[in-house]
Amino acid sequence: MILAVLFANSEGNILVERFNGVPTEERLHWRSFLVKLGAENLKGVKNEELLVASHKSVYIVYTVLGDVSVYVVGKDEYDELALAEVIFVITSAVKDVCGKLPTERLFLDKYGRICLTLDEIIWQGYLENTDKDRIRRLVRLKPPTEF
Amino acid sequence: MVELCRLLLRSGSCLVACRTGRSRFSSILSNHGDSSWTTLMDLISADPTPVPASTSSSSSSKTAAEASPTATQHPHHVSTKTTLGEKKSKRAALMQIQHDTISVAKAALHPVRANIISHHKQKQKQKKPVSYSQLARSIHELASTSDQKSSQRQLVHYVFPKLAVYNSVDPALVPSLLMLGQQCEDRTVLRYVYYNLARILSDSGSQGLNSGGGIPTPNWDALADIDAGGRVTRADVVPLIVNQLSKEATKTDVEFHGRRLQALKALTYAPSSNVEILSILYEIVFGILDKVSDVPQKQKKGIFGAKGGDKEFIIRSNLQYVALSALRRLPLDPGNPAVLHHAVQGISSADPVAVRHSLEIISELATRDPYTVAMALGKLVAPGGALQDVIHLHDVLARVSLAKLCHTISMARSLDERPGTKSQFNSVLYQLLLDPSERVCFEAILCMLGKHDNTEGTEDRAAGWYRLTREILKLPDTPSNSKDKSQKTRRPQLLIELVMRRLESSFRSFSRPVLHAAARVIQEMGKSRAAAHALGLQDLDEGAYGNKYETVDSFDSDMHDSSHPEGIRRATGVSNAAVGKDTIAGMLASLMEIVRTTVACECVYVRAMVIKGLIWMQSPHDSFDELKSIIASELSDPVWPATLLNDVLLTLHARFKATPDMAITLLELARIFATKVPGKIDADVLQLLWKTCLVGAGPSGKHTALEAVTIVLDLPPPQPGSMSGFTSVDRVSASDPKSAIALQRLVQAAVWFLGENANYAASEYAWESATPPGTALMMLDADKMVAAANSRNPTLAGALTRLQRCAFSGSWEVRIIAAQALTTVAIRSGEPFRLQIYEFLHALAQGGVQSQLSEMYLSNGEDQGASGTGLGVLITPMIRILDEMYSAQDDLIKEIRNHDNANKEWKDEELKRLYETHERLLDLVSLFCYVPRAKYLPLGPISSKLIDIYRTKHNISASAGLNDPAVATGISDLVYESKPAATESDTLDDDLVNAWAVNLGDVPAVNRVNEFLTGAGTDAPDVDENIVSRPSVSYDDMWAKTLLESTELEEDDVRSSGSSSPESIGSVETSISSHFGGMNYPSLFSSRPTTYSTPIREEPPPYTSPERHDSFENPLAGHSFDSQDEDHMSSGNLKFGTALYDFTAGGDDELSLTTGEELEIQYEVDGWFYVKKKRPGRDGKMAGLQHSIGSLGKDNSAGIVTKVVLDTALLRETTNGVRIETWQGGSGYVCGVRFENVRMESLINSTVM
Repeated sequence: MILAVLFANSEGNILVERFNGVPTEERLHWRSFLVKLGAENLKGVKNEELLVASHKSVYIVYTVLGDVSVYVVGKDEYDELALAEVIFVITSAVKDVCGKLPTERLFLDKYGRICLTLDEIIWQGYLENTDKDRIRRLVRLKPPTEF
Repeated sequence: MVELCRLLLRSGSCLVACRTGRSRFSSILSNHGDSSWTTLMDLISADPTPVPASTSSSSSSKTAAEASPTATQHPHHVSTKTTLGEKKSKRAALMQIQHDTISVAKAALHPVRANIISHHKQKQKQKKPVSYSQLARSIHELASTSDQKSSQRQLVHYVFPKLAVYNSVDPALVPSLLMLGQQCEDRTVLRYVYYNLARILSDSGSQGLNSGGGIPTPNWDALADIDAGGRVTRADVVPLIVNQLSKEATKTDVEFHGRRLQALKALTYAPSSNVEILSILYEIVFGILDKVSDVPQKQKKGIFGAKGGDKEFIIRSNLQYVALSALRRLPLDPGNPAVLHHAVQGISSADPVAVRHSLEIISELATRDPYTVAMALGKLVAPGGALQDVIHLHDVLARVSLAKLCHTISMARSLDERPGTKSQFNSVLYQLLLDPSERVCFEAILCMLGKHDNTEGTEDRAAGWYRLTREILKLPDTPSNSKDKSQKTRRPQLLIELVMRRLESSFRSFSRPVLHAAARVIQEMGKSRAAAHALGLQDLDEGAYGNKYETVDSFDSDMHDSSHPEGIRRATGVSNAAVGKDTIAGMLASLMEIVRTTVACECVYVRAMVIKGLIWMQSPHDSFDELKSIIASELSDPVWPATLLNDVLLTLHARFKATPDMAITLLELARIFATKVPGKIDADVLQLLWKTCLVGAGPSGKHTALEAVTIVLDLPPPQPGSMSGFTSVDRVSASDPKSAIALQRLVQAAVWFLGENANYAASEYAWESATPPGTALMMLDADKMVAAANSRNPTLAGALTRLQRCAFSGSWEVRIIAAQALTTVAIRSGEPFRLQIYEFLHALAQGGVQSQLSEMYLSNGEDQGASGTGLGVLITPMIRILDEMYSAQDDLIKEIRNHDNANKEWKDEELKRLYETHERLLDLVSLFCYVPRAKYLPLGPISSKLIDIYRTKHNISASAGLNDPAVATGISDLVYESKPAATESDTLDDDLVNAWAVNLGDVPAVNRVNEFLTGAGTDAPDVDENIVSRPSVSYDDMWAKTLLESTELEEDDVRSSGSSSPESIGSVETSISSHFGGMNYPSLFSSRPTTYSTPIREEPPPYTSPERHDSFENPLAGHSFDSQDEDHMSSGNLKFGTALYDFTAGGDDELSLTTGEELEIQYEVDGWFYVKKKRPGRDGKMAGLQHSIGSLGKDNSAGIVTKVVLDTALLRETTNGVRIETWQGGSGYVCGVRFENVRMESLINSTVM
């Protein structure tokens, strides 16, 4: 289960969050934990360099993409390596939507499209589509393959 | 349609509520931090939404909309207390609305804005934040004009993106959304419609917060309910949405294909608790899948996405994909064969995601019914089958699922009669070990190691290690493999070799997730290895040559040394490591070398995982210095978060559970944590570790374990500001006040631990002590007593020394706990420890000894208080209880003597009085610490018989006299039955301990340990546990026969309770007098040598004088023992005693005695008694004393005696001087015995071994 996907800006303010199977009262903890994690570790990290953390049996993979930082939290089959796959799909899709590394402005400009893209990548806590073209097509309400 | 319109009309009334919602965002946003809402607000206000004037909305609603953003700004700082998790009751919502209304009025009167929103607004005048109500209204308006291009653009670029910021959608929007869905042509608008419909469906509605995230929005349903006008609730709209979506999901129109997929997807967001929707979904999904499977798969799976493919085929595979995806999200119905059928078909699908979902479904089904799944998969697993193709599928997660599936089936017991099928799946699993993706390869390794979920047992793990180290990868000759050129040339190789190589290369990776995962694999590997060693798999010789062709040799060596697999493994491992990397040990060694270098990783989580891996891979027989220094240097790094450190501590704990042999090693590691990062580790976790290790260290290791724990107390106090000593393990790193306080807490915990467990570790319990309270040792002076105590039980003596020092030199809190701990030990221990502590507590209370002691030990500079230790008030009750016990014992002795002298029987009232005193003291004692009431005798062992007699007479079951809730558990009466069976007292003891653990809740820091105890039942002053513990009893062969006979006779009763005596059959009088003389402690003179069923114990000098109890006479007066001795010697009063065993005179100056013979004691010197027979014998004189270490190995028991010192003794006119006695057939050893300064005169045998 992918427990959470979270986008934050460089100041640690949350831009997008998607929780799956996380009780409401725990979300606040996760939010602050992740933001703190990012604040402590993401300084000077290269774009898309993956960082890892774990808390008991829950794994966290996070990275920086332009002005935004991306956090993915998972457990069970979504271990650090699977999350690395997930975050790779997410970052490449976001880059695809924004056309380049997103600044905060750009990210917010494309906010709606990014939400739809995320919706295609993660479907109820499971990774769904990984192919960039396929995601793009689905966001445009086209079938996954052209015919 | 009529319904739709009605709802549309009703939705107009939502504006008030929307306003409420708006105020809530701002209040909640302010919790995030000011700039958070600024940026998200930025998004909302990114471009003002120009609501087209041509819409049908009335001017009144417009003004309302304009008013709302301003109106809501004011309550922002008023309602800042609102938190995300707060329940929004209807009442609260009503208040909010009311509040908003007032705010509007206020805002109109005072247009000054003091909050941040307004600042922000002033900066960007042209950008007004768009309120939710504006958005909602825009949707309503644009929905009606959705055929116009401008409306569509508005929706796509402004309205929907902004709506996505909020984390829930007002159900009132549904009519508009549905209308858009029906009328709009624009694909992007439609996509947003499906997106939002899905969000509304998935909204649980309980908190107004769904999984969507974003800016929290209010609980629409709650708002709708309180709205008198009757707003739209989710319950109203969900059937509409489901109806619409399910209609769309079943449309077979080709033009509608894309929408059909999205409709089905949106439908799966409905909560699975809704049975109706679920059945609709199943119907749709199976309908699609049935249709897809009707048509035979014409096209072989090829490169997906090729343009201009068979349109029909692509549509089918799209449908198959979305149906399988939906099926994956639905609750799995294992009873439905259609699920398995369609999933198996899905493996051959052209859509890779569909394949992945199929495999995920199948692997989940396989865990429940592997046989059926294996049968259903049938030929797919064969070479060239679809499963083989999956190996080359691009989708990583599909391959992960395949690995799991293959593992489940190849391990299934139900498939045992089909080894062919199993091996086919197994071979697929092995092939996945070569997978280019780490995720897949590691999954395969973990499967191999027997870790599939967290429920696997030790056997699975052990078998996993066995497989990994033994099995060989042979690649099947399949056409699919021919693509890979390298595989052709590969010869069969050992799995372990492959895995090692793969891990080594992974550890060279720069990717942190890869490093983390690889370290995790190492950890799991260590777990499996530990499990294998724990089960003692005989041929797990890691020194075996990896090369299969040489295994014959190594098997030979295995067989040869099977009794010591570890030893030989180590030996060969060491020798082979030098030779090369061919052995498993060699491979492991080189791998671990690389793992260790990974500690240099910047990421602390990776390092933590590496350390966990190292801990697991640490073998109990190898040196752990390296690990120790790694951990020590790691802990010096301040970046380690506390949670991570505690996690590592728990790993130590888990490691211990897997290999109890490592208790000492692990304790030493834990010590590093305690000294290095006292501020970060949880004292509870550490105590838990101490406890388990102490218990698990076994009888021989208990002493060392306790030492390892309490070494914390020996550390010099932290020097403020000293940062230099970081690398030293033995130095406390508590440079800041916080960690100094934490260290303090830790020391307190250690002191408490010591007090609570010293008796356990030392196996010294008053109720099973070999020594009656106050023996001849009492005659020695205080120093001698300490020395004697030390020799008798070095563990307990050491613990006492530490506690005493803590009671002096610790901080105030530590001193208090130390005093409490000492009391606990005093109550639980027999003599001479109790007396030693008693004397010490006295000194402590008066502060007299402090000046002399405190110089000797390092003080932390704290003012120890003007009045001695300042502990006087605290200690008083502790001293009082000991006082009471001692004086009651004295009284009892006097009574007994009086009765004995007067040859009187005990009267009932006297017994009653005695019994009442016993109970009262028990109650008192129970206030201080736990003692097993059934066995504890506050009046000393002699009282046991009398109390027994009273109980039997009055038919008092133990429970009647027990009002201690800890004991009144209904089973305690078992113990006082006249002849309880050994097993019964067993049960009792366990339950007692459990009950105690449950009731001992007053020390919070202790709870966790106690909980643990409840499970393990180990803190147990466990009486029957002593079979393997403790130094032992033994005597000369001379008396062996007689002793043996009497022992055998009595053993059964005696074992069972330790209080019933064979003599109880006789008259009260005799039994008492024998008690009186014999003191009912097991010695050679006693008629019951194993009264307390303590097989190993040290024997105090036999004692025949009742006078020794005078030493108890006035303990408060603080008589020195020397002076008492003088009293004894000078007093010419006649004293009487009884011989405890047959004694044959060894010389002219000795007397032969028979057991129970009454004697008159003339005088004694240093424990030597000069006695006269009442009935004259040869010369009427007898002297007896021996220093004996005895009964080692009696009854084939194991006896171990170490560190016994007899210093300064005069032995005169006795048979034997010093003697070490063992029994044939027993085992054990005696070492570290020193007899010094022993002067012997007129002996027959000076030394007897």
